[in-house]
Amino acid sequence: MTEGLVWGLPVVFYLFLAGMGAGTLVVSSSVLLRGGGGPRGIHVDIARYGAFLAPVPVMVGCGLLIFELGSFHTGHWFKWINLYKVINLSPMSIGTWLLTFFIFISLAYAYTFVRNAPYLGENRLSLRRLLAWVSVPLGIGVAVYTGVLLGAMPSRPFWNSPILALLFLMSALSTGVAIILLTRALLHPRKADSEQQLRFHASGYILTSSDILLIGIELVVIFLFIMFAYLTVGDVRYAIATILPGGSLASYFWFGVVAIGLLIPALIELYFVIPRLLYHREYAAPRGVEIVVPLAVLVGGFMLRYVIVIAGQVTGPVGV
Amino acid sequence: MVTDIPPSEQVNRRDFLKKTGSAAVGAGAAGVSSSALAARPEGTKQYGMLIDARRCYGVHACTVACKAKFDVPLGHNRSWVEYIEKGNYPDVTRSFLPRLCNHCSKPNCVSVCPTGATWKREEDGIVVIDPDICIGCKYCILACPYDMRFANPETGAADKCDFCVHRVTEGLEPACVEACPSRARVFGDLNDPDSEISRTIARNPVTVLRPEKGTEPNVFYIAADHSDERNSRVENQYVRVDTNRRYAERR
Repeated sequence: MTEGLVWGLPVVFYLFLAGMGAGTLVVSSSVLLRGGGGPRGIHVDIARYGAFLAPVPVMVGCGLLIFELGSFHTGHWFKWINLYKVINLSPMSIGTWLLTFFIFISLAYAYTFVRNAPYLGENRLSLRRLLAWVSVPLGIGVAVYTGVLLGAMPSRPFWNSPILALLFLMSALSTGVAIILLTRALLHPRKADSEQQLRFHASGYILTSSDILLIGIELVVIFLFIMFAYLTVGDVRYAIATILPGGSLASYFWFGVVAIGLLIPALIELYFVIPRLLYHREYAAPRGVEIVVPLAVLVGGFMLRYVIVIAGQVTGPVGV
Repeated sequence: MVTDIPPSEQVNRRDFLKKTGSAAVGAGAAGVSSSALAARPEGTKQYGMLIDARRCYGVHACTVACKAKFDVPLGHNRSWVEYIEKGNYPDVTRSFLPRLCNHCSKPNCVSVCPTGATWKREEDGIVVIDPDICIGCKYCILACPYDMRFANPETGAADKCDFCVHRVTEGLEPACVEACPSRARVFGDLNDPDSEISRTIARNPVTVLRPEKGTEPNVFYIAADHSDERNSRVENQYVRVDTNRRYAERR
């Protein structure tokens, strides 16, 4: 399906990875700030996972982007440095600078969580809080820019929607929560004592319940994205037909994105969150569930980028 | 999809005439070019092309001249002629549509370029690419509503028609204009009301491609068939467009 496309799989992976990294940093730093930024507690547990996870996918994604460049294919391996010689209003130029700041800030933020790290001393907590305050808008900026990047072109009617950036932001936050959930479930010791187990479930509840909220918003955004495209006339109407029933990408979208990525995870999470929410019972999702559900969310986030990147390129303006 | 010059430009013509006071001479001639002139400093040129589709019979002299001029890699073209077959038997037509970069007055490819490798020249309005700056991100290729740009596999940069800027600055015409045996192409300065192109545009109904994209193209067509394969869905008639591209559908 990706043959003959201008932007292929590296761009799909990049959009997914950058979104996930940005979402992870936003989740980590906002949870830290919500918890007061103290030295220990459930909030710091969550924030630590996010801080160490966030820079990795963004750096991998940016590396993939360089492989996609035409100049790289012809042996000009460092020509992408040209991106840093100018700054203009092109979404890609703004995105380049945002990503660069993101990588540095997220690495510095992760450094404040390193145990016994040199050069930190007394200022560790205040520096961490300061970087967290910078991280929230920066992460949202990176996640939103990936949508603006695609949305800036009237020639690509499928992408040319103001709500695409919001859809990417919601997906970024949701996959960010998912990767934190997944990692802490995988790294959780098998023989945990009861206190560790209690903290594990407490932080799991925070993440799972916020994931439900994010998935809910994402469903609404997808609904608006499709309805407004369907109810218009002209090239946008033709473009949206690719993901509507009967379109060439419909099964990828409805099964991969909506069912696997959104509905099924949300329903499973609701099953475990509702008892605590309504009847104040203990939240205790099994470890297996906290591995499978985030995996489904991550698959859905990837499929969303895959479907949107391809659908935008196989559709174009109607008429000459 | 056939659209005349949008009414907004006619308003511009009136403004233009008021400003310059040249209502008597070449009144209509200024009409089409005025939008470009209004946005750009006075005294500068805006090169454009007028293609009379009635004269084109698809010999591809322009395609070959362009290919010979620029040594574009195999499988790619900077300029080509499309065939549009349309209708249900016995009411059928086949027409030709020469395609090249529109050198738009509001080029979307320029506004998305992150490195400044492509720009619209101040002095003559030609949209050019510097392959030494271009990193090959292919953003402009997606941003062009006319699919006129391609990734050059030899330089790794974006590539397209540049109105033969090396010939034009020497006072010559672009290679495709000179090669055309039926003289279907007119090249010239749209800001000069007395140029051949301005006078011909003034005397004829002209169209541009995809005016609804707001790019304000500077390549005009007389009697061109703007049908698209998607039109067959709406009008319930057979439409086939042959392009130079490997993929079937024009996009």
